[in-house]
Amino acid sequence: MLAYIGRRISIALLILFGSTYLTYQLAAYSGDPLAGIRESQDPKKEQIMAELTKFYQLDVPPPARYFLWLQKALGFATGTPDFGTSAIMRLPVIDQIAEAIPVTIRLVTAATILAIVLGITFGVLSAIRQYSRLDYSLTFLSFLLYSLPIFWVAVMLKEYMAIQFNLFLVDPKITLVANGITSGLLAVVLAGFVSGTRRRVLITLVSSFAIFMSLFYVLSLTNWFRTPGLGIWGVAFLGLATSVGLTHVFAGLHNRKALYAGIAAVAVGVAVYQPFGTIVNETGNFGILMLMGALMLSVSYFVGYFFSKIDKGPIIRSSMLSAFFVALFTVADRAMQAWPEYYRLSDGKPVQVDGSYNIAMKSNDFWVNNLDIATHLILPTTALTLISFAGYLRYSRASVLEVLGMDYIRTARAKGVPEREVILRHALRNSMIPLTTLIAFDIAGIVGGAIITERVFSWKGMGSLANDAIVSQDLNLLMGTFSITAFLAVMATLAADLIYTALDPRIRIRK
Amino acid sequence: MKNDSKKSKKNSQVVSASEVGFEEVKTQGLSQGQIIRRKFFSHKPAVAGLIFMILFTIFVYSAAGIHLGSDDAKITIHGWWQFSHEDILDPGPCADGCPSSVHPMGQLPNGRDYFAQVTRGSEISLMVMVVIGLLGGVIGTVVGAVSGFFGGIIDAIMMRITDFIITVPSILIGAVIGYRMGNLGVLYLAIFLGLFSWTGLTRLVRGEFLSLREREFVDAARVAGASNTRIIFKHILPNSIGVIIVSTTLLLSSSILVETGLSFLGFGVQAPDVSLGVLINTHQGEFLYAPWLFWWPGVIIVLIALSINFIGDGLRDAFDPRQKKQIKRKEFLAKSSTRDAVNKS
Repeated sequence: MLAYIGRRISIALLILFGSTYLTYQLAAYSGDPLAGIRESQDPKKEQIMAELTKFYQLDVPPPARYFLWLQKALGFATGTPDFGTSAIMRLPVIDQIAEAIPVTIRLVTAATILAIVLGITFGVLSAIRQYSRLDYSLTFLSFLLYSLPIFWVAVMLKEYMAIQFNLFLVDPKITLVANGITSGLLAVVLAGFVSGTRRRVLITLVSSFAIFMSLFYVLSLTNWFRTPGLGIWGVAFLGLATSVGLTHVFAGLHNRKALYAGIAAVAVGVAVYQPFGTIVNETGNFGILMLMGALMLSVSYFVGYFFSKIDKGPIIRSSMLSAFFVALFTVADRAMQAWPEYYRLSDGKPVQVDGSYNIAMKSNDFWVNNLDIATHLILPTTALTLISFAGYLRYSRASVLEVLGMDYIRTARAKGVPEREVILRHALRNSMIPLTTLIAFDIAGIVGGAIITERVFSWKGMGSLANDAIVSQDLNLLMGTFSITAFLAVMATLAADLIYTALDPRIRIRK
Repeated sequence: MKNDSKKSKKNSQVVSASEVGFEEVKTQGLSQGQIIRRKFFSHKPAVAGLIFMILFTIFVYSAAGIHLGSDDAKITIHGWWQFSHEDILDPGPCADGCPSSVHPMGQLPNGRDYFAQVTRGSEISLMVMVVIGLLGGVIGTVVGAVSGFFGGIIDAIMMRITDFIITVPSILIGAVIGYRMGNLGVLYLAIFLGLFSWTGLTRLVRGEFLSLREREFVDAARVAGASNTRIIFKHILPNSIGVIIVSTTLLLSSSILVETGLSFLGFGVQAPDVSLGVLINTHQGEFLYAPWLFWWPGVIIVLIALSINFIGDGLRDAFDPRQKKQIKRKEFLAKSSTRDAVNKS
């Protein structure tokens, strides 16, 4: 195994060498870095050109200059990796990259997680109900999303999710017609998930329409959109609803232990609602939030553990998922309390179109500042999620369908395993194996940057660095960003193969 | 085999079906091609996509005319649309350039007719798409076939080359060809993008060849003395044609997004050429007061990509012999319960 990994890594390094060499040559021969100065009227033109030529070693032809760059980049010259100095910013490339990576990671993490979770959930659903109305709608949706150019979506999102929404927030009153249309659409979507007789679908449609209508009416009447909040009862209600819903999906409501464990976890969450508020009001930071989240999850683990005697898995899962969502609602509720303050500071433009944070935001409050970051994330996250969601949906649907057609699934059904167990325990685990490759590549591609997204929403991440480097002929910056991207891509291939072998015992490494 | 079929023919001549008391049912066997064609044409979205693509291509190419060659040796056939995308015209009946009877898609602020721009842009985007798709398809198939069939050291080298190509970013190729190298033109951009876009297809074709070469019919062919070329072209390739066609189709739909994306960033098609991505990039700022300039190219990109995806889906269904309608659990239970009832009675 070690020998195999070693061999793969040495091949990976060879590939990296080749690809950086090719990139360097392509970039170096693609244009003249001195073009801007050559055309200028500066009297000291010759001197500047000579200086630049010396500084960037432009007198050395690119095939050889690459090795000078490589020598520095590997840190042979100074002991630390040095990607040179960028021509536009006159800053060390490595500092610029170090600054850009966290921005990019912030940009794409939420979108990737959302796309994976939603894509797999709907993909599995679509596969289980193959050839149903839901399956056809999801398939059509995925094809549509697959065909959307992200830059086009982004411009539309800017208009409809930011500018129009901000205008709506100036006086958040929902007219009866708008309410009817929105509730109608939501009800149709919800009814699409219901299977069964026409009557059942119709009942869901009508009742959910009525519920949405009255909900929006009350929200509009109480000016909720300007002063949002859930309150302890809202958290409790939403928590209970999610808990029961999740138990229904993952364990089945007949599994009373799982149901009670979930409800108990919600009760614990509601019980700590007040203390949580007091603690985070005094010291609000991510450390405290993480700590409390971990505490909540471990408590719910033990809750689940005590409720179960045999078959602990579904029961613990139920209680932990319930706890997770209650914690999520509690945090969301606390963030909502900061909304009026944030709204005042944002000059009536809460959903931001450009950049990763508002420089003009002057607040010491943890929640207000993070609301600022979150509202900047909404648009690019939505755009990125929409685009990559389709891929995960298609792959997981195909994969689940393939597994469901296998003999061992038939065996499981034949020996009387309940359908839920067949799907969750037999089918799902095996069907997720091929997705690891996709996920590994996606995560590697992430850091290379969502060049188009960053450009449209004016974020300063890796993508925009690469973009700037190409536009301004900045060879060092270009090589810095692309070597990191290429390195991650090569490592992702390796990681995908290794994870695949670890997950699927049928695949053996050829010695 | 041959003897068998002769015998059965003889038998059927001697004892015809009607003689033994069966009603004679004339069923004709379907060839593989016929089965695939029937399956494909029963897939409605795919057929709709195919019809759209054919009509749209004819419409666009006849409207904007055909422009070939570089500036020195230009072959130009004018289309039926009265304006060219480079004509600078007076403002039409609508002062702010909104759609009118003379300019059905409106006018640009500088007076150019937008219909001519959009048709010309679609023409270029379609051309780039087809070149990338064909080049990627051919190279991908050849590399995948060779490395899957021969295996061993050849396979290892080919796959490492594939890994290497994956790491070269397409945006850089666009930048080098379109943005820096004195604007070589759309065709070169398409060719270079095509040269770097075959990696995904290669992996699929290789996988297919790896599993097919172990099959009995390949052994049989080899024992019968077939050469490698013959085995590849006559035995394995026809069996993997489904995978190749389907993934080439999907490559087509992704390449139109790559081209428009690059053009949007400014690294793809360069002025004076227009493409759908260039049009969106130039007019995204005019979304508020001239939304038609933004909507048309975007809707056309989505329609093209969507139709091709549907065609691909239809082809996948048509070529996949394993695709059968699954028996749902409820139906299965219903069947077994009626069977039980029958058995008990």
